[in-house]
Amino acid sequence: MTDIRLEAISKHYGAFKAADNVDLAVAQGEFVTILGPSGSGKTTLLSLIAGLNQPTTGRILIGGRDVTGSPPQQRNVGLVFQSYALFPHMSVFDNVAFPLRVRKTPPDALRAKVMAALELVQLQGLANRRPAQLSGGQQQRVALARAFVFEPDILLLDEPLGALDRKLREELQVELKQLQRRIGVTTILVTHDQEEALSLSDRVMVLDRGQVQQIAAPQEAYLRPANKFVADFLGIANFVQLPGGREGVIRPERIRLAASGGLAAKVVEAVYLGQTIRYHLDAGGTGFVAAAPFVGQPHAIGDSVSLTWDEADVWPVA
Amino acid sequence: MKPTLASRLVAATGIAALAFLVLPLLIVVPMSFSSARSLSFPPPGFSLRWYVGFFGDERWMEALWTSLALAFISSIFAVVLGGLAAYGLRRGTFRGRDVQEGNFMAPLIVPTIIAAVAMYLGFAKANLLGTFAGLVLAHTVLSVPLVMMVLGVAIRSFDVRIEQVGWSLGGSWFYTARTVLLPNIAPSLFAAWIFAFIGSFDEVIVTSFIAGTYETIPKKMFNELILEVNPTITAVATLLMAFTILALGLSAWMLHRAGKLRETML
Repeated sequence: MTDIRLEAISKHYGAFKAADNVDLAVAQGEFVTILGPSGSGKTTLLSLIAGLNQPTTGRILIGGRDVTGSPPQQRNVGLVFQSYALFPHMSVFDNVAFPLRVRKTPPDALRAKVMAALELVQLQGLANRRPAQLSGGQQQRVALARAFVFEPDILLLDEPLGALDRKLREELQVELKQLQRRIGVTTILVTHDQEEALSLSDRVMVLDRGQVQQIAAPQEAYLRPANKFVADFLGIANFVQLPGGREGVIRPERIRLAASGGLAAKVVEAVYLGQTIRYHLDAGGTGFVAAAPFVGQPHAIGDSVSLTWDEADVWPVA
Repeated sequence: MKPTLASRLVAATGIAALAFLVLPLLIVVPMSFSSARSLSFPPPGFSLRWYVGFFGDERWMEALWTSLALAFISSIFAVVLGGLAAYGLRRGTFRGRDVQEGNFMAPLIVPTIIAAVAMYLGFAKANLLGTFAGLVLAHTVLSVPLVMMVLGVAIRSFDVRIEQVGWSLGGSWFYTARTVLLPNIAPSLFAAWIFAFIGSFDEVIVTSFIAGTYETIPKKMFNELILEVNPTITAVATLLMAFTILALGLSAWMLHRAGKLRETML
């Protein structure tokens, strides 16, 4: 278990900057998510850390050791892709045993470690199956077991749950988080799914066009976004004018729908989401989104309401 | 769906074209079993005399062994070199990749007679004319494009991330290639080898230029035809066709299996 430092990492493809002067320090055992829209350079960053690609400029340190320029074999990194990337011709057991065989682990220890890893991901009964005989969720568990069985210094996950359906994804998120906490491995996850980022990580790094927008704890980034991009990308943002011509962001759940005393608005749309109901509102041409707990009689489309909020809940963005 | 007039016409044209291509080849087969002393059609009676003649003739047997050895060695070289080239071209992101690809494919596109003259002149300078090593070299060069085409497709369709995971787990490039890539492209590897083998076994133009006193089966057939029309040729031709059809059928089956295998991987 080790810390990771990226120092002024840039990766250029001709004029295109996939990563532009990125600095990041991940503490030992920390779970950091790199979050950004597609094309923001997040996968590029991950492949640079894994050594599958080399940065144009900058340094990468794993556990204080400068690994810039060294091949992936020398980085002791566990890697999981969205496409699972299991070895199709090998059994589950042989897939997980691969990194141990490379390290010339004696057969007894190898067997014990593989079975222990499979148990951690609840696949102990499927050791002899081929990947093609497993469901997507099971395949991703095999990929996970293979990535941590050799006690790597760091775990790199590239949209690991992206190919799974929502319910399974949420289950695996919880499992992944528990697993990570249990083995305590420093982990970097890449995703475009902001919910996944908020629920899993100790900190998130929001990336746009290769540039770091904000590095912060999930709640911090959500409630106090560094700029408009982050505010817009993480969840739903209502932008309001602040005194002095500045703009502020307020989150839907901080807006109250009252009978009077605030900003007059009309309900345009009401979206039922289970525990909450989301109202799309029109306040004299300005759109608002508010979320309210689904209790009592909800407002109907066309209702006139009044929007109020605490000034303290408005966070100024540049 | 009910076949329309147009689709019937297309089918009829296709069958006619196929017959036009295949029938002359098939005429050779009954002629090879002919009891006649010279080439004649239809054959007056059945006999295996031309096959007996072929297998009993020391010079034919010598040509057969030369052809087999040449095809075996050059096809293995072609698979190794062509496979590495295909890998580099498919996986690499270096400048001038297209030029390199064109360079490797050139022997397939350049008229063989030009390649033959070029190799003749080049080999003369390098003292390789009339040597077995020269023949192996020439046949390897000619077979590499076939290998690259087959293996290029196989490598492209094998997800590079599977290899990347292998490297990140600590496997060296060779270890990962041997334990992960090769088992998964084995059917294509075998098919590529068969293509290279047949390519070499059938090659006559370049061989005629550079072989010197070495005789291969096709070269000897060619020379025999110039001197006299001997029905032994039809027996050799029939054997060659049977061999080629079997080998291509086998490789088609292997590639088909590879496709099936890929489906089950998903």
